[in-house]
Amino acid sequence: MTFIPGFGAAYINEIDNTRRAGTMEDFDNFAKLTAASPYQNLTGGVLIDPSDVPDERKHIDMAYSCIKNSNKCFMGSSYGAKNAQEVINMTSILYGTEWNMVKKPVLLTLINTLTPLIFDDKMLESLIEHSKIGQPVIIASHAVAGFTSPVTLAGTLVIQNCEILSGIVLTQLIREGTPAVYGAASSIADMGSASLSAGSPEVALIANASTQISKYYGLPCKGASSVCDAKIPDAQSGYESMMNLLMVPTSGSNIVLHAAGILEGYNVMSYEKFIIDDEMCGMMKRMQKGIEVNKDTLATDVINQVGSGGHFMDKQHTFINFRKEFLTPKISNRGSFDTWRNKGALQVMEAANKKYKEILKNFEPPDMPADVEKDIKNYIEKLYS
Amino acid sequence: MDLKELSNSVTNGEFEKIKELTQQAIDEGIDASQIINDGLIAGMMTAGQKWKDGEMFMPEVLMSAHAMHEGMNLVKPLLSDQDISTNGTVLLGTVEDDLHDIGKNLVGMMLESSGYKVIDIGIDVPAETFAEKVKEVNPDIVAMSALLTTTMMAMKKTIDVLKEHGVRDKVKIIVGGAPVSQEFADEIGADGYASDAANAPEVVEDLINN
Repeated sequence: MTFIPGFGAAYINEIDNTRRAGTMEDFDNFAKLTAASPYQNLTGGVLIDPSDVPDERKHIDMAYSCIKNSNKCFMGSSYGAKNAQEVINMTSILYGTEWNMVKKPVLLTLINTLTPLIFDDKMLESLIEHSKIGQPVIIASHAVAGFTSPVTLAGTLVIQNCEILSGIVLTQLIREGTPAVYGAASSIADMGSASLSAGSPEVALIANASTQISKYYGLPCKGASSVCDAKIPDAQSGYESMMNLLMVPTSGSNIVLHAAGILEGYNVMSYEKFIIDDEMCGMMKRMQKGIEVNKDTLATDVINQVGSGGHFMDKQHTFINFRKEFLTPKISNRGSFDTWRNKGALQVMEAANKKYKEILKNFEPPDMPADVEKDIKNYIEKLYS
Repeated sequence: MDLKELSNSVTNGEFEKIKELTQQAIDEGIDASQIINDGLIAGMMTAGQKWKDGEMFMPEVLMSAHAMHEGMNLVKPLLSDQDISTNGTVLLGTVEDDLHDIGKNLVGMMLESSGYKVIDIGIDVPAETFAEKVKEVNPDIVAMSALLTTTMMAMKKTIDVLKEHGVRDKVKIIVGGAPVSQEFADEIGADGYASDAANAPEVVEDLINN
């Protein structure tokens, strides 16, 4: 279960329900929040589209931010051969001359189809560049049932399957053994507003079925995520994202892109929702761990020790095991009403707002060798001065 | 015959029945422009309104449009060029590097059914092509669509190129697409923004009348 935050949104939703274009500062912030998260596994790709950076150099500035602010892997550029190659070159500087990119792939790239049944040239160029050097690619089909694929979910799965398999076959023709991920991202059309709906039960069903199909082929899958239709981190975003995210442990999908922060389909990122989703990602990881059953966890010794009546709170068995058995929530409020009220009666988005500010305030970027940083900066300078 | 029956048939998307009814109206000698305005377009306007009110859904509205076109195909040959009046001409396209056309097509359909002449120049349209087309067809409105955050800025570029060609002020510009917002529209100097296809006719009407 590999979590990667939201990808490709243009706007930031603020806690006062206003909206603004995303900036490079927002990108850096999301890279930092991801680095600090115990649950997000990759720093991401387009954490937010930075509107204040010229189009031609966005890919390089975003990749640099991921390198600088986090020591987790990040994503390659999906947008054309030139961009892909520049990020690959920068990654090579980062990992040094000993890096065997085929043996130890580090760049995961999202290649989207153009449903129905098209790949556009920019995505194909990126697919080719990354396949050539054995870097893993997600071939993601995002059909919108009723718009770009049949209205029936079964028919949508057919279109999606054809697109994904054709992309994966292409990666293998370019370089046999290139790691490829079955990327199922399909959603449905909302027939009232004529826009896509991501927070619907049909989307959860599609994700679940797609994962089953990927298992049939023996391929790793990118299926469900925490997408929703809600405009702000409210109750709707909570139930929609939880419904979708629950499909991850229940269906067994592997890579979760858009795991944190995303609102209104794929348009908007929210700091507060990032924190709330991250909490849910923790819950998913806990659920996936399941229930460990052995002599010690069946705990017959301590049951005998306590006997009828009494309690387990002060027992050694509890003391030793509670931290690994229970997930400790970061923002979810438990405990009594009075305690909650006395601490300011914070709703979850308010608690999340405090939390993200606190994380950013205390953030320390990971160490990077000075000479590597200099070489990367020189490379960027040479390209875009 | 009562043209109300014809307009209901459009609203209900009965594209087989519409041919019979339209032919019947023609045979009865009803004026062609009356058949269009009080029958076909009236039915489509009702469908559009019901869609906005949440009473009809997109596939039903598209069926209404289909029905309207079936009727139009029978009536149009009876009209001379002068008889065909439009509320205005809209040049419509998806901007450079963006291959998405569903949203654009919906907007085109809504505008056509509101009485505008729509010239759809397709997807992945370079700024220069927009400028050349503006000179060629002299539209009232230029409507641009983009679905990707990576292609939104091509809208700004297109506006800049229209300026370079000296035709920016001859047209009103509207923009739309999932990542586009009113703020973005203002920022790049567009004249209007429609949050969805159902809103497009209203925005265009305001711009043409003011």
